[in-house]
Amino acid sequence: MEAIRKVDGVAGVQPQIMLPLNPSTSQFLTLTQEIVLGVDLSLPMPNRHYATLPVRAGRFLREGDRRRAVVGASFAASRGLGVGSALVLEGERYEVVGVLERMMTAPDRFVIVPIADAREQWVAKDRLLRTLLASGAAALRAEDLNTGAAVGWRDGEDPDAVAHRIREQVPGVNVQIPSELSELLRSSTAFFSALLVGIGTLAFVIGGLSLANTVAAAVFERIRDFGVKRALGATDWQVGREVLGEALAVTLSGGLLGVVLAIALGVSIDRWVQQRGQELFLFSPRLLGGALVFSLALGAAAAAYAALRIVRLSPAEAIRRGSAA
Amino acid sequence: MPPEPALRAQGIVKRFRAPAGVPIDVLAGVDLEVRPGELVVVEGPSGSGKSTLLNVLGLLEEPDAGEVWFGGRAVSRLSRSARSRERGRWLGFVFQAFLLLPSLTALDNVLLAARYVGRPDGDVRHRAEMLLERLGVGHRRDHYPAQLSGGEQQRVAFCRAILNDPPLLLADEPTGNLDDDNGAVILAGLRDRAQAGGAVVVVSHRPDAARGATAVLTLAGGRLALRGPSCKEATR
Repeated sequence: MEAIRKVDGVAGVQPQIMLPLNPSTSQFLTLTQEIVLGVDLSLPMPNRHYATLPVRAGRFLREGDRRRAVVGASFAASRGLGVGSALVLEGERYEVVGVLERMMTAPDRFVIVPIADAREQWVAKDRLLRTLLASGAAALRAEDLNTGAAVGWRDGEDPDAVAHRIREQVPGVNVQIPSELSELLRSSTAFFSALLVGIGTLAFVIGGLSLANTVAAAVFERIRDFGVKRALGATDWQVGREVLGEALAVTLSGGLLGVVLAIALGVSIDRWVQQRGQELFLFSPRLLGGALVFSLALGAAAAAYAALRIVRLSPAEAIRRGSAA
Repeated sequence: MPPEPALRAQGIVKRFRAPAGVPIDVLAGVDLEVRPGELVVVEGPSGSGKSTLLNVLGLLEEPDAGEVWFGGRAVSRLSRSARSRERGRWLGFVFQAFLLLPSLTALDNVLLAARYVGRPDGDVRHRAEMLLERLGVGHRRDHYPAQLSGGEQQRVAFCRAILNDPPLLLADEPTGNLDDDNGAVILAGLRDRAQAGGAVVVVSHRPDAARGATAVLTLAGGRLALRGPSCKEATR
């Protein structure tokens, strides 16, 4: 840690321990894995965006805390934890002193404990490490154990350059270059992002075409009625207004029903996956409003198209076609 | 001095073009005048263009040539919406197939005629109910068309046609789907409209339709043949 701290451009180093809560979880689920994070509270977090993690209830850990934990939002929800709850990790009882705000990213599934407690958990989990420390054969103490360190860089420094300097000047450490890490994260999520965009687009197109087809078909199947109405004196505007009004009523009720069904389905699925510390759906007002506006806009477009087709026919032709259908 | 014609048509040509055939002039220059109080009956073999003539006279179809006047105003070349307004103001239609809206009750079907000419339902509801009573279907006012017999449907359609008291009434085979008794009721209604000062044009096959008519015309070869005092011989 000292060697890293001395590298030119380094602003701060915070030793950390990251342990999977359940080591048997497959690697495929790494992004959704529950993690025990041990942080050295004697040092400031070297993250310029998150000097402290946002706490929804309770407080964050303080220097001197032991057997205390702050838990992520999904972790808390999946276990029904709140401030004051007890949590048992590797046979030891921890008091939950804080719950983080939902961040829709990895910390939602974190259990954050003082680094000394995390070291004890690591030793308790790893029999080989336990034997090694007990034997005294190596010049190694539990206090020396870290799985990694978060490094902050000084203002104006190129983080990649700082990382390269650490790699060159401090032997025996595995340095993640920030830009490579960003690229790795981007590429690892690119497939899922593309998949979700594809599914969403497909749903939009299929749902949109079905909606437009339903509205247009509902109008065309009453083409005779509209012919009669025009024979009785209905103008293009009056026909268009009727068609549009009906289409908006259908699409608004259909859109509302769709939103209600989506929320019901999403909440049900979330309740199920929360048992594994996950949450899949976020129904923001903007998303729900957008879905309704989309359905209304599509219905209006389909209605305008159908109305235009109808008024362009002579009333006699509309009656003929409607009677023949 | 005779009153100005409620309906005048001059040189009406209507041509139908088959996708790969010779164009056919279904109407080949039709002239017609109908004055208030006249009942004109148009006869002719099936396919002679009687319904097409009525559609052109009623602005339901545009002629390929010629002009139609309502009360002295040329109307067949107006914009689509202007033609709709003229239809609402001048015309009542009685169709062979009744053409009631299946989703509306008998009373609402009648009231539909007022909706598009800016007359609030409340103002005409009493007249609609009175007309239904007069035509013998008052007790069926809350029934839907599917619940009515053909005769009852045509009586409702007739009430719709005259709800706005239009100066012109056009009837296309109004008794074509009716038994004799119901047909007689509708024909009597049409005669009453003429006697009350309306101009009425009826296309019909029934011999008794001509009874009481001011003029009986025959449409053949795309032209009207004179058989009454009010119509002029086709000019060509």
